[in-house]
Amino acid sequence: MKNNLILYIGILIFGIAAPFIFPAFKVQLSILCVLIVLATTWNIQGGEMGYNSFGNILFYGLGMYLCASVQVGMFFPLAEWTESGGEKTFVHTPVQFFQGMAVGLIVAAVVPTIVAGLIGYSILGLRGHYFAICTLGLGVAAGEISGGIEIIGAGQGFTTPPFPDVGSLDSRGEFFYFLSFFVLVLTFVTVRSIYTTRFKLILNAIRDNEDKAEAMGIETMKYKIIGWMISAFFCGLAGGIMGGLVGYIDSTDVAFDGREMGVFMVLMAILGGKGTLWGPIIGATVFHIFKEGFWTFFLGWQYVALGVLIVVIVIYFPEGIMGWLREKYPERFGEVVDEKDRKAQVELK
Amino acid sequence: MRLNKIILSFVSALVILFSTSVASFAKVVGDKIILGAAISLTGKYSSNGVHTQNGYNMAVDRINSMGGVKVGGKTYKFDIIYYDDESNPKRAAQLAERLISQDGVEFMLGPYSSGLTKAIAPVTEKYGVPMVEANGASRSLFTKGYKYLFAVLAPANLYLDVAIDLAVEKNNGKPVTVAMAFEQDAFSQDVRLGVLDAIKRTGSKKVIDDKLPKELNDMAATLVKVKQMKPDVLVVSGHTKGALTAIRQISEMKVDVPMLAMTHCDAAKLSKQHGKNSQYALCASQWHKTLTYKDNFFKDGMTYDADFTKEFGYAPPYQAAESSAALLVFKDAFERANSFDQKKVRDALAATNMQTFYGNIKFAEGGQNVDKPMVLFQVMCDDAGKCENKVVAPTKWASAKLIHPIPSWSKR
Repeated sequence: MKNNLILYIGILIFGIAAPFIFPAFKVQLSILCVLIVLATTWNIQGGEMGYNSFGNILFYGLGMYLCASVQVGMFFPLAEWTESGGEKTFVHTPVQFFQGMAVGLIVAAVVPTIVAGLIGYSILGLRGHYFAICTLGLGVAAGEISGGIEIIGAGQGFTTPPFPDVGSLDSRGEFFYFLSFFVLVLTFVTVRSIYTTRFKLILNAIRDNEDKAEAMGIETMKYKIIGWMISAFFCGLAGGIMGGLVGYIDSTDVAFDGREMGVFMVLMAILGGKGTLWGPIIGATVFHIFKEGFWTFFLGWQYVALGVLIVVIVIYFPEGIMGWLREKYPERFGEVVDEKDRKAQVELK
Repeated sequence: MRLNKIILSFVSALVILFSTSVASFAKVVGDKIILGAAISLTGKYSSNGVHTQNGYNMAVDRINSMGGVKVGGKTYKFDIIYYDDESNPKRAAQLAERLISQDGVEFMLGPYSSGLTKAIAPVTEKYGVPMVEANGASRSLFTKGYKYLFAVLAPANLYLDVAIDLAVEKNNGKPVTVAMAFEQDAFSQDVRLGVLDAIKRTGSKKVIDDKLPKELNDMAATLVKVKQMKPDVLVVSGHTKGALTAIRQISEMKVDVPMLAMTHCDAAKLSKQHGKNSQYALCASQWHKTLTYKDNFFKDGMTYDADFTKEFGYAPPYQAAESSAALLVFKDAFERANSFDQKKVRDALAATNMQTFYGNIKFAEGGQNVDKPMVLFQVMCDDAGKCENKVVAPTKWASAKLIHPIPSWSKR
C-alpha cells in the first residue's frame, strides 16, 4: 500500500512536471493523455465486460462537436460562425473562451452519457460479433449524419474558437496539457475505484458467462448500461478537449474518426493487456511513442510499420504487455507459485 | 508490490527516451533557409499531395541553382522539412505544432486542400509563423482575420461560377437549370456556394443539389436523377476522385447533358486516363500552360510545363504550378524584407506585388490572391483520340472556342 502511494505520487509529479521537462512535446503529451483516457474507458467494455465496442468513438465525436458548439453558441450566433464564407469575424475574449470551454466540457460529458444510456438500452442486448458490428455502424452513421448538418459546418468543417491572447506562446499548450492530464487523473481515479467494487466482478461475470450471471440474479442489462455510460462520460470529455486542441473539426476525419481513433483505442488496450487497470495506460503510451517514431523515421511507410507492429503484438503478445509480464513474472503480480508443487507436477509427466 | 517496480522502471525508460529524442533544427542553419510543410503523401489526397510536393521541390531546385536567396548580403538556399499528414486534419494540426515547436521551423508552406489548411492556419497564426499556401482555396480561410496566411490562388467560390454565366450566355441570356453534386469537404462545398451565388445572380434554377461522400467512388444515384431531369448544366466537384468518378460513370451510363463543369480535371489526368470519354468536359483551373505570364526562374508556362514533364514524367497540373509559385513568393519576400525576422517577412509578404509564370500575385487583407483570375478549359480530342485541354474562357486567354452543347452519346 505504501509502495502504491509512492508510485502514484511519483506519477502525479511526473505528470505535472512533464510539460516543463519536455516543453516542445506538450501537444504530443496532451494527445497521449487523451489516448490513455480512450483506451482505459474502452477497456471497461472490451476488457472487463467482454463487449468489443467500436462505438465509443460516437461519444468522443459527440463531445467534440458539443463542446465547440457550446463554446461558440454561448456568445455568438453559431450559424454565422460556421457559415462558410461568412463575412464577419468573431473573436472570443479570454473570459468568454474559458467560460465557454468550461460549460462546453460539462455538456460534452453529460449529453454523451445520456445518449449512451438511451442507445445502450436498445443495443446492449446484442452479443459478440453482432454488438461489434452494430457499434461500428453507429460511428460511421454519426460521421455521415454530422457531415450534413449545416449549423455545425457540415462538410466545411468547424473551426473551434482560437486560443485567446493570454500569457506567453506556451500557454495554449500548457492549458490543454493540464486539462487533459486532469481528465486523465479523473478517469484513472474513477476507474480504479470502481474496479475495487462488486461492479467489476459483475462485469467480469458478464464477460465469462452472461447467462450464468443472469441466472444468479444479476440484472446484467443495468450494469452493462452503467458501464457504457461511464465510458461515454469520459470519451465525451476527451473529445471536447481534442476539438480545442486540434482547432478544426471535420465530421469523419477528426470527430467520428472510427478508422483511426476508433480502432486505435481498441489496439492500445489490447497491446497493453485488456482486462487490466494498467494495461491500457502502458499500451497507449507504447503505441503513441511507436507511432510518433514511425512517423519521423519511416515517412510514407508509417502505416506499414504500424501494421508490422500489430502483427508482432498479436503473435508474440496475444495477452498484451501486462499479460506477458504476468506470465513471465507471476510472483511480481502477487501470485504465489508453489515451486514444490509445480515441480511435482512436472515430474509426474 | 513488485509490479510497481516494473511500472517505475517503465516510466523512467520513457523519460530517457523522450529526453534523447529532442532534436532541434533552427530555421536558418548556415546558408539554409528551412521551411516546413505537412503534405498528404498517403490517404485520399495523396495524388494531389505529390503534385504539391513536386511543385515545391521543383521551385527549390530552380531557385537554389539560380543563385538562391540574397538576404543581408549573404546567399541562402531553400530546404524543406516534409511530414506526411495522411490527408487528415487532426494529423496536420499536430504536425504544424511539431514543425514549429520541435523542429523550430519559422516559415511554413501550405498543405494540400482547404480542410488541412484550415487545420494548420490556427497553429501558424498562434505562433506568428508566416505561411504561404498554394492549395487552400476555401473562402472561409480568408474571413477569419488571419494575419500570417497568404494564398497564391484565387478563392474556391470563383472556380465554377463562370461556367454558369457561360451557360446563360449560350442560352441567349435566359436562365438555365443546374444540377449540382459536391463532395462533403471544405473546398468542394465552397465551390458549391460560388455556383449558388451565380445561380441566384442569373435567376437560374437548381434542380439537383447532391452531397457526395468523401470516399468518392460512386455517384450513380445523382446521374440517374440527371437523366430524368435533363438539366442544362451538370456541375461536379470532389477533388481528383470526383473528376474520375464523374467521367467514368457519365460515360458508362451515357448521360447526356449540354454542359458538364468540373474541377481537378488536370490533376486527375482525365484526358490521359479516360481519353475521348472525357471530351467536352469544362474544367476550372488556377493556371494553364498557355497563359502568357512570365518570370525569371521558370520563364513562362510552356517552359515550366516542359521542364516539369522532363523531371517528373507527367504534365504539371495547376496544383504543381501554384506550389512552385509559393516558393517564388517566399524568395521575393525574404529579399525585400532583407531579414529573417518573422514580422518583417510577414509585412513583406503582405506587400507582395509580382508576376510569376503562374500569374500575378497580390494579396488582399484576408490573404487571398486578388490579382489572378481563374480560367476554364475544355477537354478537346482529335479524331485519333489524342486529347488536350484548351482554354475557352475568359476570352482574354481563350485559345479555342467553347463547344456547346455537348453532342449526345448516340452521336459521338
